[in-house]
Amino acid sequence: MIGPRTYGPRLIGGLAFGVLAVFFVIPLIFMIVVSFYQPDPMGFYKVDFVWENYGKFFSSFYYTVSFRSLYSAALGAVLVVALAFPLVLFVSDLSRRMQLFWIILLLSLMCLSEVIIGFAWLILMSESAGLPRLLEWVGLWKNPRSLSPSFGAMMIGLVFLGFSIVSLILYPSVSRRDRNIEEAAVTLGTPPALVFYKILIPTFRTSLVSVTLTMFVYLLGVFVMPTMLGRPKDWTMTVIISDKALGDANLPLGAALAVVMLIVTVLVLIVSALLTRRRAT
Amino acid sequence: MGIAYKLAAATGAIVSLTSAAWAQELTVSAWGGFFEETLAAEIYPGFTAETGIAVRSIAQPEDSTWMTQLMAAARAGQAPADLSLVVDEVLIRGNEVGLWAELDPAMMPGTGNLKDGYVQLNDAGKAYAVGALAFYTTFVTNTNYAADAPSSWAELWEPKWDGKLGIVTTPNSGLLEVTAQTFFGGYDILETRDGIEQVIAKIAELKPQVSLWYRDEGQFQQSLESGELNAGLYYHDVTMLSVWDGLPVATTFPAEGGIVSDAYWVVPRDSENIAAAEKFLDYMSRPETQALMARMMGTFPVVPRDSMDLTDEEFDAVGSDIAPIRVQTHIHLREGDWLETKYQEMIAQ
Repeated sequence: MIGPRTYGPRLIGGLAFGVLAVFFVIPLIFMIVVSFYQPDPMGFYKVDFVWENYGKFFSSFYYTVSFRSLYSAALGAVLVVALAFPLVLFVSDLSRRMQLFWIILLLSLMCLSEVIIGFAWLILMSESAGLPRLLEWVGLWKNPRSLSPSFGAMMIGLVFLGFSIVSLILYPSVSRRDRNIEEAAVTLGTPPALVFYKILIPTFRTSLVSVTLTMFVYLLGVFVMPTMLGRPKDWTMTVIISDKALGDANLPLGAALAVVMLIVTVLVLIVSALLTRRRAT
Repeated sequence: MGIAYKLAAATGAIVSLTSAAWAQELTVSAWGGFFEETLAAEIYPGFTAETGIAVRSIAQPEDSTWMTQLMAAARAGQAPADLSLVVDEVLIRGNEVGLWAELDPAMMPGTGNLKDGYVQLNDAGKAYAVGALAFYTTFVTNTNYAADAPSSWAELWEPKWDGKLGIVTTPNSGLLEVTAQTFFGGYDILETRDGIEQVIAKIAELKPQVSLWYRDEGQFQQSLESGELNAGLYYHDVTMLSVWDGLPVATTFPAEGGIVSDAYWVVPRDSENIAAAEKFLDYMSRPETQALMARMMGTFPVVPRDSMDLTDEEFDAVGSDIAPIRVQTHIHLREGDWLETKYQEMIAQ
């Protein structure tokens, strides 16, 4: 009597697999194929098999940019999680009504487009209308300068983008946690200030690591924040790839750079997964 | 049933979008924003009134992005628009891969009014593009911070801008040619890679002064108008609109000239409305239409000045008699990836 007669789940699973194959795997394969084509500055590209596009990655410029991308995505991911986790803990202890308020607030932040967020921060950090002008008015800053474009401005943009996503991923498990463990720790003499480090962080270590990795991958692909809020020195690989593929209409080089970034990302993820697994056992 | 109905409606919408052939309707694309809106509101209605051919105006993205989309569409045997506005780099690259339909000048007598060279011929001697308009990029300033208009492009290199310059990121902005003209006595230096590197090194001296290397025009314009930026390179026509709106900005043609860019109309190869498109090109090439565009959009006409009824004041608002600086497209195409990478490294390293 136990279920193999229903085809529903299999059908849904098959459908999901089909959609994934059509909309993810096929474009990916196409991208890999294009990355071996010969770019044609007078036209578009010629169907060919050359390693030239990959060869170009190994100039100092491109790997400087890719290290820079990995660095800012990693730093951004760690900052987002470091800020969002305490907030989620705080929210989860509030009344039901206040929790709902925070959830709706976080959800509505997710509706904003990257460009709108970028422009809002541009204005907030401008010397004519934003924070610098306010500081001058209060008397804290004599000769105010615009705070963007800068690395810090870009980081704020990245953190803002990721904040609600991370909070909403962490919220369900954090709000359902067993609070008896914290109480027991305090009863047994742990100073309340240390409960966060000794109890909460170890309890949620796995989900914190996985959400940090998710954020890392997400921030690696962000385009608008580096171009709007960052200096040219902060531009990430995403910006360079879009400049190549769209700006210069050099799809093969853009595709090759994207494939390299994909490989690097997958390697980083595998290494971190192995490291966390080893520590868990 | 609801889903079936929606599907049918969606299919209907797609079919009516892709096959404009059944009605006398032309799909014309132009750069999105003010340009496309003004063309649709002020210029196309005259054509429809005269010929009875309706014009569906659509917005197209930035040049290379649009070319990428046109190429992809051509591979699928489709034309996203019957007519499209492109700059010469896209025009030449598209012609090289046979992206544009051939046109018959006899069917568009109006093109006889154009200045020489504005009907582009392919290797077989057939016309494939017709000059649409020209536009200038000039030295723009915020008048609250720079009261005097700059007299030479060399002033960009002076330390007075307080680190508040805004410059385009792409190498085909005309800055290479401006630098060659201002400091190296002409475009000849750009003929060798050695020379190009010298010019790029000169541009690199601007880096401490440039706080925004922009790719988004809106961001530059907003920053210049608010005083966040004090000066930079920007479109003359758009800046004139801000001037007329009373904003504290100015646009100046320096002694070496403004940077001129030409835009052409092309018909994608797979368009099914070539005859109607030729009528459209005939209309757009007439001096009356060119004068109307100058008045309404601030673009620089591609017909001789004496064939139009523009007053001196109207002419001075859209251009200048100073010989312009012209982007050396053949060099940009020849040096392609090498030049783009050198330029990008200069900016981003």
